[in-house]
Amino acid sequence: MAEDLKAILEQQNSEYRDMYGFSDDIDYDFKTDKGLSEKIVREISKIKKEPEWMTEKRLAGYRVFTSKPLPKWGPDLSGIDFNDVYYYLKPSDKPKADAWDKVPEEIKRTFDKLGIPEAERKFFAGAEIQYDSEVVYGKVRKDLEKQGVIFTDMDNAIKKYPEMVKKYFGTVIPPTDNKFAALNTAVFSGGSFIYVPKGVKVALPLQAYFRINAEKAGQFERTLIIADEGADVTYIEGCLPAEELVSKGDSFQMIGSIKKGDKVATHTGKIQKVNKKFVHKHNGIMFEIVPQSKGNGFRLTGEHPVLCIKRNRVLTKRKQRINWNPEVSTKALLEQNPEFVKAENLEEGDFIVYVAPTSIEDDPTFGPIELKILGLYLAEGSITSNKALGGIRNIAFSFGKSKKEEALANEVNSLIHKKGWKSTTCRTKGGYYVVSSYAKDLIELCETNCGKGAKTKLLSQKLMMLPPLKQKLLIDYYWKGDGNIYLRYGKKLMRASTASKFLSYQIQEIMARNGVFANLNVRPGSEDVILGRKIVRSDQYIIEYTDERKMGEVRRKNNCFYVPIKQIKKHQFNDFVYNFGVDKDESYLVKGFAVHNCTAPIYMSSSLHAAVVELVAHKDAHIRYVTIQNWSKNVYNLVTQRAFVYRDACVEWIDGNIGSRINMKYPSTYLKEEGAKGEILSVAVAGDGQIQDSGGKVYHLAPNTSSKIISKSISKGTGVASYRGLLYVGKEAANAKSTVRCDALLLDEKSKTNTYPYMQVYREDANITHEASVGKIGEEQLFYLMSRGMSEEDAIATIVLGFIDSFAKTLPLEYSLELKRLIKLDTSNSVG
Amino acid sequence: MELDIKDLHVATVDGKEIVKGVNLKVKSGEFHVIMGPNGSGKTTLAKAIMGHPGFKITKGNIFVDGKSITSLTPDKRAKLGLFLQFQNPVEIEGVGFVNFLRAARESITDNTVDIKQFMGEVRSYTEKLAITNGIVGRTLNHGFSGGEKKKGEILQMAVLRPAISILDEPDSGLDIDAIKVVASNVNDIMKDHGMGAIVITHYSRILSYMKPQRVHVMHDGKIVAEGGKELILKLEKDGYESVIKDKE
Repeated sequence: MAEDLKAILEQQNSEYRDMYGFSDDIDYDFKTDKGLSEKIVREISKIKKEPEWMTEKRLAGYRVFTSKPLPKWGPDLSGIDFNDVYYYLKPSDKPKADAWDKVPEEIKRTFDKLGIPEAERKFFAGAEIQYDSEVVYGKVRKDLEKQGVIFTDMDNAIKKYPEMVKKYFGTVIPPTDNKFAALNTAVFSGGSFIYVPKGVKVALPLQAYFRINAEKAGQFERTLIIADEGADVTYIEGCLPAEELVSKGDSFQMIGSIKKGDKVATHTGKIQKVNKKFVHKHNGIMFEIVPQSKGNGFRLTGEHPVLCIKRNRVLTKRKQRINWNPEVSTKALLEQNPEFVKAENLEEGDFIVYVAPTSIEDDPTFGPIELKILGLYLAEGSITSNKALGGIRNIAFSFGKSKKEEALANEVNSLIHKKGWKSTTCRTKGGYYVVSSYAKDLIELCETNCGKGAKTKLLSQKLMMLPPLKQKLLIDYYWKGDGNIYLRYGKKLMRASTASKFLSYQIQEIMARNGVFANLNVRPGSEDVILGRKIVRSDQYIIEYTDERKMGEVRRKNNCFYVPIKQIKKHQFNDFVYNFGVDKDESYLVKGFAVHNCTAPIYMSSSLHAAVVELVAHKDAHIRYVTIQNWSKNVYNLVTQRAFVYRDACVEWIDGNIGSRINMKYPSTYLKEEGAKGEILSVAVAGDGQIQDSGGKVYHLAPNTSSKIISKSISKGTGVASYRGLLYVGKEAANAKSTVRCDALLLDEKSKTNTYPYMQVYREDANITHEASVGKIGEEQLFYLMSRGMSEEDAIATIVLGFIDSFAKTLPLEYSLELKRLIKLDTSNSVG
Repeated sequence: MELDIKDLHVATVDGKEIVKGVNLKVKSGEFHVIMGPNGSGKTTLAKAIMGHPGFKITKGNIFVDGKSITSLTPDKRAKLGLFLQFQNPVEIEGVGFVNFLRAARESITDNTVDIKQFMGEVRSYTEKLAITNGIVGRTLNHGFSGGEKKKGEILQMAVLRPAISILDEPDSGLDIDAIKVVASNVNDIMKDHGMGAIVITHYSRILSYMKPQRVHVMHDGKIVAEGGKELILKLEKDGYESVIKDKE
């Protein structure tokens, strides 16, 4: 793969890399050791094949970093362990991808979530994505390229435009500015480099996305934007926008749909009520636990406790056989009591616990005849409606050609007749036996208890609660229809397959209630072309069990089965995860396996984002820099952003801060020549446990300069939002004009807000207005909205969105919608 | 729908009793009026019916179709078909009036709204209510004049189609033309949708454009007199004092 990439790179003489692919599995080509040293700084520079002058800049940055203390003001940053951070990660395995369509599915999904393809195709002029440290996707429209606009990543810029980089890099923000700017200078990777030539106006925004993919990883991108005389550019930086609430096609969809008040089975096998549902965003490693029964694989976060028996506690005393894994003593296994162990501490070979629910609720309407019919319907039945006959519905049981199948067809026919319903058996031209009926009661019995189509077949709650022996009868008839008998290693193996995922879990559960552990496997679906026709095969779920001997190492104790873990996979994950509080047992079953309600703090280790953004707006130029930051809540976001604004030029910072644990960000603007203008518009949302310390700084350093700072903050629960701003008007800045306005909204009694407006004004003629307001969501406002039918949650969200509306309006539509969605999510009560 | 208020006592959160035993029964389609001097507890009664968190029900009960609603939050009450026209609706910054109205309609009906059709509906009501400045594009009650606020409330009532509506001083602060417009719109909504109404007012002027069936006079947290339309004439002639004295 890497060879392919190189070949392509060499072929392309274009200034911009076209699109590259990415890998979602973290195989990093290169990963520095944790922590920072001069050696690591040199190493980073060497890997990037940087010129000597850049290496020197990095080393200078490193020296400042080691000598400077943490800032003594503002939020407490002592929780950062600089030695526990990977400073450079380079993703490997970049498959060739010269068009979006060729980007691998897995990766596309990640970026679909970020809204890239749509945004890229429809609206935006270019996009770059930084995936951990490396920019892996970059594209700029051809017409911009022709006009001389440069939009590339910083690493590339150092190689291709060394003169320009040398001229500006670190001039706006020297490493000596602060500890984090110094750190960034030492270890930066990626980020964007933009140059807009004289008089060129880029109508559509250029944009970049950044992600922190690995835990404990740092991200230190370096962005430099130069707008030459009269140029105009808007740059948008998104940190993790647009994600779907429920990931598709895996267990999380199922888990996601569980509500408070629903009943779930717990590790004791009893049914208990869900009393709380937590949803939170997890950005980091996800553990996929694949047990012997592969179809039962499930994913959870490393903190999540799983009911388990460690293998090393139950080994035989026998000497290990050559080429054998250490063997387990059944006796020891059954004597050991399972304990809850964090997923990250599980090892392959450990036993996890499959629990068969024990609750029973008999229903006399299901007698042997009904159960047998249902079993065969499950295997062979289907319901169709005939349009030609005015939608009349028909049920059909289709069997094969053999004698045995004929007998089954006759059996189902006679069962139906025993119930007093009508049906007929016939043989198709091909020799297949089909039993068909129009009896409404029969159709209803089958449809309500077993579902309709092959993919959606599902047993009703009533059937799932029947006594095990009754269920066994149903399943026996299901096996009669769909089952095969295999002989493997002298074992008689029963095997059936279904296209319905849920049905396969249900059958497994029923078998377990009857004391038999069935293995589940998935044969993935595929597409094929046969004789010019496209054939789509859906996923098949294969259920296997044997009565004769035990299924592998699985052992049973009462209603529990101890199942060995075959494999533990780690995935990068960035999406919502669910967790429940459950009455009494505080546990629930994931694909049959017992896990504890996760009580550990959501994020243990933290990540560091220390970016540096330098903007230079020459005479008459205009730069608008937009950031929507929604880092996960373990990230320290410590970003230095500064702009130099020359004669009659204008720079706007638009800054949305929703995520991160501690955010310190004060975009600053130096109005260096006459007529220069600066605007800083920011919104910060501090949810539970978050500190949003943001604001802005403006230095008026020339006559007739003007500035505006507008800050809006929202605090909820234990969140603290602070405005920290500086307005400086120097002696040389005659007739400076400035407006500062900060509004804070508190959502409850606990939440806090602070305002630290610093002003240093050395001119009498300066025209300065400063306004600040703190508001609480008023009882009257809530009552008003609720009296119009809105729930409390919706009413709060409505008020909050109204509060930031003037900010949202400055954003492009897609970002505005995304911001609103994020804020709604953040303020809603249901998010834990 | 039937709203049945039985021996209702309402106090502020810090314990001051304001409504002291009110009985009132109102059905959809019926037209009731509550009159009374300032501070007699009319607005508190209205807010308590809608479930304002600043008031406690210390005794008695409120039933809708035989079921007590006192434990329901205001949104649930709205969904049952109750509506309160506020005397002084609050301003909410940055919330578009029409978007808000749509969200309200969607939450009350639990149905998505067809935007085109809905906008047509809103436009026809703004015309009927002679809201000249246009409400589309403006934020909720923000910068509304007194008259616009009242008309905005009636517009909400028209769009949300409650079964029983409590109108708390729909006339205060309005000029004569506006009073006529509000009255005729309320009449139309009652006629078109069979809405029941409880109109709270100090003055009889608006009532001369309406046909109330039942008049209740409230004083010091109690209903002290009840009657038909003739009671209004009596109040107009002799003032509240006469009715209150009669009672005492």
